[in-house]
Amino acid sequence: MTKRFVFVACALLSSVASGSLFPAAADEPIKIGIPIGLSGANSVVAPSVVQSAELAVQEINAAGGVLGRKLTLDVADDQSGAAGAQKAYDNLIFQKKVDALITMETSAARNAGLPIVARGKTPFIYTSQYEGHSCSPYMYVDAWVPDQQVAPVVDLFFDQKKAKTFFLIGSDYAYGRGMLGFSKAYIEKKGGKVVGEEYNPMDASDWTAIISKVRAANPDALILSTAGGAPNVTLTKQYKAAGITAMVGNLGVDEGTAKSMGTDAEGVYISASYVSSLDTPDNKKFVGALKEKFGDKLLTPNDLSVPEYEAIYLYKEAIEMAKSTDEAPVLKALGEVSFQGPRGLIKMDKEHHAALTMYLGQVQGDGSVKVLSSFADVPPGEQCPKLK
Amino acid sequence: MLVSQTLDIVTTAAILYVVAAGLLIVFGVMKIINFAHGGFLTMGGYSALAVSDLGLNPVLSIPFSFAVGTVAGMAVERLVVRPLYSRPLDAILATWGLGIIIGQVITLIYDRGVHFVQSPISGAVLVLGEEYSKYRLVMVAVAIAFGGALALILHGTRLGLVTRAVIMNEDLARGLGIDSGLVRFVTFSLGSGLACLAGALITPLSSVDPSLGISWLVNVFMLVLVSGVSLFSLGVAAIVLGGAQVLISSYANPVYGSMAIVILAALLLRVRPRGFASE
Repeated sequence: MTKRFVFVACALLSSVASGSLFPAAADEPIKIGIPIGLSGANSVVAPSVVQSAELAVQEINAAGGVLGRKLTLDVADDQSGAAGAQKAYDNLIFQKKVDALITMETSAARNAGLPIVARGKTPFIYTSQYEGHSCSPYMYVDAWVPDQQVAPVVDLFFDQKKAKTFFLIGSDYAYGRGMLGFSKAYIEKKGGKVVGEEYNPMDASDWTAIISKVRAANPDALILSTAGGAPNVTLTKQYKAAGITAMVGNLGVDEGTAKSMGTDAEGVYISASYVSSLDTPDNKKFVGALKEKFGDKLLTPNDLSVPEYEAIYLYKEAIEMAKSTDEAPVLKALGEVSFQGPRGLIKMDKEHHAALTMYLGQVQGDGSVKVLSSFADVPPGEQCPKLK
Repeated sequence: MLVSQTLDIVTTAAILYVVAAGLLIVFGVMKIINFAHGGFLTMGGYSALAVSDLGLNPVLSIPFSFAVGTVAGMAVERLVVRPLYSRPLDAILATWGLGIIIGQVITLIYDRGVHFVQSPISGAVLVLGEEYSKYRLVMVAVAIAFGGALALILHGTRLGLVTRAVIMNEDLARGLGIDSGLVRFVTFSLGSGLACLAGALITPLSSVDPSLGISWLVNVFMLVLVSGVSLFSLGVAAIVLGGAQVLISSYANPVYGSMAIVILAALLLRVRPRGFASE
């Protein structure tokens, strides 16, 4: 009796140690956590991101799932900030025990979540453009960094439009300062001159003093990087009303906001890895599937929602390559797999970042974005030299 | 630079004056700070949006937003503020909560997105050799009209007379047979109407979103605190503190500039508790 007990106990212990006491049943779903700003600053864009995640999961499950298992989503509101992110990440990783996190976030929320991701050893795909140089062995990024986004706009102004003087205006936070800091270095490297660099608090709605400085400096071009939504609209309205006629490159405007600004945004240059009018079979298929699933509830797909869709497919590919959902082989595979999505072929093999095709666009009078030129496979530059 | 800076100061003060006027008259009569003021500003922005969505002339948003604000103010005064007359602190909390409710109801109707209202006046005009935003200049005239109209009501009408009596000494006024409840009702409705109108008037300079009013609330709250209950000292406060905001933004940076009104008003109240009020 005792012998048998010891034997059983040993068997149990060894199976606990190897983590296979309750091996994942073939029909147990693979859980993907989405901590996201359903309220707060990101609440304008977050619902469209959730929609594209739902589409990806539906498509994958309809085609038989991953390794015979279904995918499920766990969406948690992080209120777009650090405090909310700590709760949301903790809840998803330690209570809901998700297999991976795939989401777009504010930089503040991402930075708050990363230590929790490291503690839970959970694979994390970050799907938002950001200021760059955030490195974690658990995090992969499939959206752009300043190195990829700034060059098309500045090159156009400097090389083709012969702009020599630039004035930079941004919102006062990590992303705004990161983007403009990179822009300044890039402009000066090319031989251009930055005649002003001004920041307004994120929630400020009055740009009077900054606009007067722009008028006094009389630059050839403005480079803007404000927080999305309201600050973008107020700044555009106010410089337009002040009669400023310099060329404008807006690094922070998305297609939807540009559309709502109508004629005030006309002529503004933008740079992005996705525009909804992309004339490729993959994009048409994606937009068609979205329309069919969401009908008149569809939110315009954008440069934040499309990377989410592709990242879920990349995670699927990585599980299939690793033949398991264990974090070590999945993390290794995430740097090797690729997926042909609406934005083209995406592969996160550049120090956990991805080379992306970037589009230079100009906002038209009716609010649509006309693509002027595209730049294939722009590399993200040196982001995380310690991660291979 | 000098011309544009002077214009910046004058127009910034004008906009602050317009936004603060409704809050000031409510504070004067009721001795409570109406924290739903931000909510009424937002409501005004959305009234302008509704007018523009219907394809009507943007000028119509002026009477429409004033009417919306006045009616909403009547309802709020009757249902929320009046039962709390004897508990001013609770009344302030209630208006704070009300501001949140207004923001959420607007979100439910219009979503959280940023909306855009066509401006009736756009572009710039040449002033003393400087290109300057036409709409900001119009706001100076609007501020003068606001101040003039309110002064006329307060000093030239029977309603103004009883209102001033209530402001000076409510108990005594009641003793003389003045219906102070009615005065409060009319003042609150008028203040809400003005707040809504101000919200519509600033839409050409800002976006319309559920937090439209919040960014203004703290600054105008401080302005009202330092101006006592006088329309004239509100003007002085708007020019001095608004001017400080512009100058600090220009010569230091806009991040400090955005804190200027709050910090300077707090300092002023510390050394001179009655602020810009003359007595």
